[in-house]
Amino acid sequence: MAATLLEMRNIETFYGPIMALRGVSLEVPEGAIVTVLGANGAGKTTILKTISGVMEPQKGSIVFGGKPIHRHEPDWVARQGIAHVPEGREIFPFLSVYENLMMGAFTRHDRAALAGDLEAVYGYFPILKERADQPAAYLSGGQQQMLVIGRGLMARPKLMLLDEPSLGLSPLLVQEIFGIIRRLNEERKVTMLLVEQNANMALKVAHHGYVLELGRIVMNDTCERLRESEDVKEFFLGMKEEGARGRRRWKRKKTWR
Amino acid sequence: MNAPVLQPPILRDGHATLPGLFRHRVQEMGERVAMREKEFGIWKPISWNEYGRRARTLGLGLVSLGLQRGDVVSILSENNKEWIYTDVGAICAGGVACGIYPTDSANQLDYIVNNSATKFLFVENEEQLDKYLAIRDRVPSLVKVVVYDMEGLRDFADPMVIPIDRLYELGAAYDEAHPEEWGKRIDAAEPEDLMILIYTSGTTGPPKGAMLSHRNVIFQMSASEYVLEVHEGDEQICFLPLCHIAERSFSVHRPLASKSIINFVESPETFAENLREVSPTIMFAVPRIWERFYSAIAIQLKDATWIGRLAYAWAIGVGRKRADHTMDGRRPPAALDLVYRFANWLVLRNVKRVLGLDRARWIVTGAAPIAPDLIRWYFALGIDMFEVYGQTENCGVATGTNPKSLKIGTVGVAAPGTEVKLSPEGEILLKGPHVFIGYLNQPDKTAETVKDGWLHTGDVGVIDNQGFVRITDRMKEIIITAGGKNITPSEIENQLKFSPYISDAVVIGDRRKFLTALIMIDHDNVAKFAQDKGVPFSNYASLCRAQEVQDLIGGEIDKVNRQFARVETIKKFRLIDTLLTAEDEELTPTMKLKRKLVNKKYAPLIDSMYKEG
Repeated sequence: MAATLLEMRNIETFYGPIMALRGVSLEVPEGAIVTVLGANGAGKTTILKTISGVMEPQKGSIVFGGKPIHRHEPDWVARQGIAHVPEGREIFPFLSVYENLMMGAFTRHDRAALAGDLEAVYGYFPILKERADQPAAYLSGGQQQMLVIGRGLMARPKLMLLDEPSLGLSPLLVQEIFGIIRRLNEERKVTMLLVEQNANMALKVAHHGYVLELGRIVMNDTCERLRESEDVKEFFLGMKEEGARGRRRWKRKKTWR
Repeated sequence: MNAPVLQPPILRDGHATLPGLFRHRVQEMGERVAMREKEFGIWKPISWNEYGRRARTLGLGLVSLGLQRGDVVSILSENNKEWIYTDVGAICAGGVACGIYPTDSANQLDYIVNNSATKFLFVENEEQLDKYLAIRDRVPSLVKVVVYDMEGLRDFADPMVIPIDRLYELGAAYDEAHPEEWGKRIDAAEPEDLMILIYTSGTTGPPKGAMLSHRNVIFQMSASEYVLEVHEGDEQICFLPLCHIAERSFSVHRPLASKSIINFVESPETFAENLREVSPTIMFAVPRIWERFYSAIAIQLKDATWIGRLAYAWAIGVGRKRADHTMDGRRPPAALDLVYRFANWLVLRNVKRVLGLDRARWIVTGAAPIAPDLIRWYFALGIDMFEVYGQTENCGVATGTNPKSLKIGTVGVAAPGTEVKLSPEGEILLKGPHVFIGYLNQPDKTAETVKDGWLHTGDVGVIDNQGFVRITDRMKEIIITAGGKNITPSEIENQLKFSPYISDAVVIGDRRKFLTALIMIDHDNVAKFAQDKGVPFSNYASLCRAQEVQDLIGGEIDKVNRQFARVETIKKFRLIDTLLTAEDEELTPTMKLKRKLVNKKYAPLIDSMYKEG
């Protein structure tokens, strides 16, 4: 088994008086794609924000590559090799596509290698090369998503935190984005922590999954086994037995086994 | 000797049957409040008149659909007012009421409907209706299915299924055409008639339908008052399954007998809040609930300031000293009482308010054994807690403690009209007008259980020279170790459950070298422990696996072991690492582990404890 790249232990994070994470422990092995599934408000994004240092946990520890990273500023965390790809495609709209990508390399000093990485990003996302000089705001939603992923790659991260990359994209684009995520993982050995609503795609691309409910982890397993779980099927994959009437409205009680 | 023995009539307020008493009560109470149910956040009162009207139209609706005397009407629903309307309405119309646990599966429903030849089935909502639809081809005895809550069923049409409002309409129309019918039906009830069927989960084999008569129930109304002194207007809370004899007696029969007010909890999840809102003056619950309250306070104290903890320790200490007197039925010395009042004002009343028991005059535990220390704790808080002992087959209460006769560790003395004795094997035998008619369609089982009028309880115990009964265990559950020692597992288990981190335990050791235990942890409290100690865990199974949690439970077991003799100590244990719910077969609807099933289902886990070393 691969070494653990990121380990989160007993993390509690608050929004004012509201406890968003109620003691979350999870592990991301080196080279793996780990996904966190959960309904709206379960605390998925909060996990990523807590890792990248945008939010500070009240309790618990986060160890990245053997080094504790909690209670550090986000820029310091980013320098350790963690790229946070936020939800909702937060680009710099008035900068060009090229400038946006270079923002991702802000922390780097190895100028020489930069050009190669830029070419690699253009290799994964040819459309970005075509439109390199246009303001990023002119990109379509799917292209913007590619741009933020590309920007994250420019930091040459050891770990990428991907927050709902499929949000608001057409089914075809979702396929494409997930295809690239898998290639990045396989070809460039980027470890990923992926937060997704699109459980179907996430469970196909990831190796290991955690199910989060109201700030607590209720289930974790390999993705193959998660796909077979009755609860995951019904509550995330939208597959359920129709019952005798064929239009069941009531919900089964979740047991998470 | 051969002359028939004339049994004296057993009456409650001049009535020998439940329908008679119900009619009397409705006329007497009129617009006074009978029950309350929370609707969109507001507690809505329901008067006795309304209760009477609903039961009447519902009962007559069934008559219009062909209900004959003795037909079985089954109810598959969580507790709500319609449950009680159906229960009482069907019985007044001459039917037999039978409750089915809402957590039962479609197959269990199939069994009970067929075993009881149910004609009318009432279901709560679409979820319960689906259970019927899944087995509809296998239940030929059914005439109609009535749905309480039609939400989500607007477009559903089926000749077998009607909404309850339609049944009310049918009943009202029938009443108009036959105004005498209701009275006639009520008058036709006989004390010896079968009134309710209660299915008891057999430890082996399928459930058995215990048959209870009007006479059983009417007798129990007065006999149980020996423990439960209830006044008109007493507030009580209805939350345990009404299918169980204890809740049925307490929440349906007790208010009919004593004019107390029923308050329904909204759902099991809101139980704690509902309890605080209602703040009942009297309350019955099973030990598991009382254990949970104690755990909740114990855990809250861990988060309290040191001043808070100190204050609690002092106050409960004062309470315990006073309890030493009150539990013996003596008045505490004036000086102690004064200090207690101060402790109560400063600390204890707040504890009681948090639990929702600040108005409670007394509370009662029953239906399962309880740790004596827990009873002591409630007395120390200043709430009198009594214990009743009995079973479905004797309609609830056989013995009980009360303010005048209380001996901790015993279940009190026999209720009036009840005889208790021991068989040569030490089994507890009961006799009295509350002994049931028998098991439906099972004359052999009935003959095994009732011999010469003596009900064989299957419990082993002792009776002291003052008549106090002490239950040691279920006869079939006594463990005989390989060394030949007789051990009563429930005593050990009760001490284990007293720990806030252990929700239930099963002690194992029959024909084994030593005792072991399977433990079900208290999820919330153990998760909190792990979180406080920084023990990483993800799901329930990984929480159970954590070494620190294993050590925690090991420590709790060691504490209990110190109270027992060497042969009675638990040498090894395992945690059940799946989170069980009431739908799981291992648990009873009141969330107790079923020993037989647990022994079978976890056999490999149990064997693993006996393999090594």
